[in-house]
Amino acid sequence: MERKIGVYICECGPNISEKIDIDKVIDAVSKLDGVSVAKRYKLLCSEEGKKYLLDEIKKQGLTHLVVSACSPRDHEKTFMEICEKAGINPYLFQMANIREHCAWITENKDDATKKAIRMTKAAIRRVRYHSSLEKKEIEGNPDVLVIGGGIAGIETCLQLANSNRKIYLVEKTSSLGGLINNFEKTYPNMVPGSDIIKQRIEDIKKNENIQVFTDSEVEEIIGFLGNFEVKLKKVSEENVPVEFNVGAVVLATGSSVFDPEKTPQYGYKKLDNVITSLEFEEMNKSGKISLANGEKPKTVAIIHCVGREKVGYCSDICCMYSLKFVRYLQDKIPNIKVFNFYSDLCIPGKTYQKFYEQTIEKNVDLIRSTDINIEKKANKISVIYKDENKNKKTLSVDMVILSPAVIPNSDTNKLAEITSISQGDGGFFAEEHEKLGPVSTTTEGIYIVGSAQGPKDISSTIIQAEAATGKILTSLIPGKKIEPEIKVSHISESLCIGCKTCLSVCSYGAITFDETKKVSVVNEVICRGCGNCVAACPSGAASIKHFTFDQLYQELVEAVQ
Amino acid sequence: MTKAIVINKTADQGLTEVLKFLLENDRVKGVFTLKKINKEGDVSYSLITNADDLKDSVPFYPLMPVNAAKILSRFTLKGPSDVPIVAVLKPCELRAFIELVKREQGSLENLFFISSTCAGVFPLEMGKERLIEKNLSKYFEKIKKLEILDDLRPVCRSCEEFVPYNADMTVKLIGENIDKKSIIFLNTKKAEKLVEGIKLDVSEKDLDKKTLDNFKSKRAEEKKKIFADIDKKTNGIDGLIDLFGRCIGCHACREACPICYCKLCEFDSSDCEYKPSNYEIELRKRGGLRVPPGTVYYHLGRLDHVTISCVGCGSCEDVCPVDIPLSAIFKKVGESVQKMFDYIPGRDPKEDLPITTFEKEELTEFEE
Amino acid sequence: MNKPKNKAAVVKVKSDIEKSVLDFLKKGMDNEIFDAVLIPMKVPAGDSFAYVLIKDKSLLKDASYLPPVMPVQGANAVSSITRLGKGKMKIAAVMRPCETRATVELTKLGQTDLENIILISMDCPGVLPLSDFVNDSKKGMKLFNESIKKEEDKEMRPVCQICDKSSMIAGDLHIGTLGAKKDTFFVISNSDKGDEILSKLKISKNEDLDSWLSKVKNISEEKLKKRKNAHKILKSQVGGLDNLLDTFSQCINCHNCMRVCPVCYCRLCYFDSDKVKHPSDDYLMRAEKTGSLRCPSDITLFQMGRMMHMSLSCVSCGMCEDACPMDIPVAQIFSMVADETQDLFDYVSGRDIEEPLPFVSYKEKELEEMEDAA
Repeated sequence: MERKIGVYICECGPNISEKIDIDKVIDAVSKLDGVSVAKRYKLLCSEEGKKYLLDEIKKQGLTHLVVSACSPRDHEKTFMEICEKAGINPYLFQMANIREHCAWITENKDDATKKAIRMTKAAIRRVRYHSSLEKKEIEGNPDVLVIGGGIAGIETCLQLANSNRKIYLVEKTSSLGGLINNFEKTYPNMVPGSDIIKQRIEDIKKNENIQVFTDSEVEEIIGFLGNFEVKLKKVSEENVPVEFNVGAVVLATGSSVFDPEKTPQYGYKKLDNVITSLEFEEMNKSGKISLANGEKPKTVAIIHCVGREKVGYCSDICCMYSLKFVRYLQDKIPNIKVFNFYSDLCIPGKTYQKFYEQTIEKNVDLIRSTDINIEKKANKISVIYKDENKNKKTLSVDMVILSPAVIPNSDTNKLAEITSISQGDGGFFAEEHEKLGPVSTTTEGIYIVGSAQGPKDISSTIIQAEAATGKILTSLIPGKKIEPEIKVSHISESLCIGCKTCLSVCSYGAITFDETKKVSVVNEVICRGCGNCVAACPSGAASIKHFTFDQLYQELVEAVQ
Repeated sequence: MTKAIVINKTADQGLTEVLKFLLENDRVKGVFTLKKINKEGDVSYSLITNADDLKDSVPFYPLMPVNAAKILSRFTLKGPSDVPIVAVLKPCELRAFIELVKREQGSLENLFFISSTCAGVFPLEMGKERLIEKNLSKYFEKIKKLEILDDLRPVCRSCEEFVPYNADMTVKLIGENIDKKSIIFLNTKKAEKLVEGIKLDVSEKDLDKKTLDNFKSKRAEEKKKIFADIDKKTNGIDGLIDLFGRCIGCHACREACPICYCKLCEFDSSDCEYKPSNYEIELRKRGGLRVPPGTVYYHLGRLDHVTISCVGCGSCEDVCPVDIPLSAIFKKVGESVQKMFDYIPGRDPKEDLPITTFEKEELTEFEE
Repeated sequence: MNKPKNKAAVVKVKSDIEKSVLDFLKKGMDNEIFDAVLIPMKVPAGDSFAYVLIKDKSLLKDASYLPPVMPVQGANAVSSITRLGKGKMKIAAVMRPCETRATVELTKLGQTDLENIILISMDCPGVLPLSDFVNDSKKGMKLFNESIKKEEDKEMRPVCQICDKSSMIAGDLHIGTLGAKKDTFFVISNSDKGDEILSKLKISKNEDLDSWLSKVKNISEEKLKKRKNAHKILKSQVGGLDNLLDTFSQCINCHNCMRVCPVCYCRLCYFDSDKVKHPSDDYLMRAEKTGSLRCPSDITLFQMGRMMHMSLSCVSCGMCEDACPMDIPVAQIFSMVADETQDLFDYVSGRDIEEPLPFVSYKEKELEEMEDAA
């Protein structure tokens, strides 16, 4: 079929017409092979302009369209829609940006005109090699997978539960609740931790829309927003995989604590009666706080910031719970003397100051210190430290509680790989943007909630759960169709020789290997068109639609000649 | 009688002057011809657009580094040339190009052809060893005396199609003192128009038919000898196995062949890959199997595919790493097949390929 | 693979090494340890050798475990049998160290399946250039045998003469002739498969390997010195754009080198594909830039492109140079560059089948010396 390329150059008011001699451009391109018409127009994006283009395409019987105007970011979509209305496939269109890339940055009119000619020619050369591409539509799946059954995951489930979708909650241990279950009380209201969580767990169990998998781990997640394929495995039984589809994934896998064995100066596991915060919470919940020999401690040192230097960040919650520990101790052992060793005190927010002031009223010493060493001294423990004035001091106590840094859960690496999201500072899941994208990630459709994203307290966790819920509710509307990427990779079956190099470099899991034919195959719905496979394939068997070798070569050869 | 330009220079220099005229006067935008590319005097085809670069051109250098049909095909594969180009080719190269054009692998539009009554080329090896310069005077001598030089490619020594078809200009080499004189025949109106205004002697001349026939019969004698030798060697499947036994399956012959144009040769495609079960079955039958398989099969296949258009250029043999006498085999089979259909490849661009034509009565001798 | 070796089995030579090795293989088939042997055999006309997959034991007597030439790279033979899967037969493949290494590389690239293949290599004296052999095979055979006897290598492929890995073990078993006591040879196991075969054949491996190890070390060190020297000279001859263009000035772009290379595995080479075929005005535009354009064009693009694609797996076998009709020293050049590219990643092609190809492995900190290049 004969090609009829229509070339239209927009004056863009004075923006282009004053800086570029448009008639010269028309002269230069109107006789090129395949160009049937080359014209200029005042403002192609105006209503009249759009109508003009529509009429021109029909009148001239055009098969391809080239528009030299502003940035494609402004109006590529506009002109593609006009093509569609006029009956040409919208991908038989190419735009040359002679405004931002030429008129607006070139002083000399001659130079600008020459450049505009070259850019328009390059677009014409490219468009000759364009192929029609068809839009695809698939049903968007509104369901959600929540990984992690602690307060973050539970809250997210409950928020999403009654919005016309199914929620799958996956927990690797045998029970829901997470860390909060271990806390006798939570600050600042000193309400029992179990109170917060028990009712919520009941609500989850009662809700028909939430399916809970305990003793289970996620094996594989492939896909994108609206279309994820999930594979689960029960931890105990090796051969019973569970598979289902969801539209979004929430990572709420929580955190754990830094291992003080890595900082031997604190004497952890070397001395009796030196315990971590989690161990102390457990001891406190059992009802009896005692030393290894069964006696009650009279003096306790609480060391803040354990491991802070090693991890390189402040863990947000430890100062507050260390104060909470003071209250635990004072409640159970009257007249106990507590010493809090800290490097900086972190008490943000509108309610915490009052809690702090009330806690330190009596029998508490806050000691600002550095270079702490914990050693055994007779049947007591010696805390050796340097005070604010760098003087070396020693304090003798019965028991030491270490408040270690909050670190990512051990599953974080595996899950980051499975979901192809990044890990940021400290190894926590990385949010899309520190300020402007706190719960989304670089993979669309994967959200992060709670201390899996970074150390935080319960109220911040609830905030994140509600935020992620909001994002999911607005982007995953039941019934809404998803349009997967059109400009995806394609691997020629006759040229592929099955070396699997493309498979190794695909970050989206979009390439599978057909064992019978011994060739790689692209899943067009999952492919994001990144082009890694095209670059990696030595023989050129892989190519990206709308960015084929010919299309790029033709454009380049004109542009750089 | 045909108009011809006569120049009292060597054939190389004489034609170069005409080529210079064509470029300088914008009659053509480019010239394809052989050119010296370095100080050692190595020769390669070049597309020359600047008349100054013609100073190194050696259009009739007796070497064929690549069959020029492949180069012209590459040049016009994606579409005909927009501008007039002149190409200086040997008769077999021109014929091969026309065979490619028939298969949509090139275009004749805007191309002018200059050829010669061809005296043949030396094998690639001599070019590699840089022995051609010192053999040039011997070459010219033999040409003048209508004798055949032993050192040439076997297919050249036995080539009977040394008068070009479809050339716009033909340069007389055979029987001429090309060391001193160059005669360029203007065969077509196009050719005359191209050189309009050239300040050189144009007179009416003739390619002496008697001389050419005489030379042809000498070449025919050589052919008889070479074909008889091949006949002996290719006796039955055992003969083929002996002949192709040393083949390493590099497929260089296919790459060098101007007629082999497939993007992906069938013998490289997955069609010719064997599953392990195929090997196991063969082993059970025969006890031993050469691997990779299909050594002779590949050559038989290629003979089947290309011989209808084989122009006997000899490029295949020159690139063979194990010196299999391919060119004689292919030339012999080629001529037999072509004879069956009264077909000479490249004789006429309008003549259809025999495999694409249907005659109700044909090859009746096989019906018995 | 890659088990620490300081003990090996020792086999007594009955008449000559060739016959004894074939006996060893026959024993393997007799005891059904493997069902077939892939080994070179002389072709019917006697002017060359070819790999033959042998199931009928009686054919073994005409086989040659150490032929004087390498017409086909053994890795290509193994790939042709196993690319589409492993089959039911267990096959013992006998080939030189560089061929075994190339087979390992091809396995990493999905082009062979080694599950039912037993790779057997031997101490290699090198091979003669093909063209020297095929036109006078009697003379060639004599030349080869004399070279082995005199422990000389000046007749061999240029890359063989500077090969420091001529006894490298990349497969399952290795026939060690160097340093062995008179009328014996070592059979060295390098894998569980190898161990299993020796035990099934009731050959115990409890002989000291020190004499082989030290002889191999000496030869390898000497060759390495020769290699470094040769590379220094070659670099000065080929280095820099002018020298490079000069070196390849006789190249006719026939792509033979690519086709015989075991590492070049693409079905349709990038440099044979549509991507290097351009419209006429492109060629004209290029010609106009300098006044003329050499045809066929893009020869340097092909050579450097091929080098970029295969260098990390190059095993310096020298097939490319044997196949070049214009006698360009491609093997020497490519193998010199391969030494350096593999060095960059601390990689030796074919050394370890578990070692991932550098091209597809990601390390966060890598090639930092390049970061300052800006």
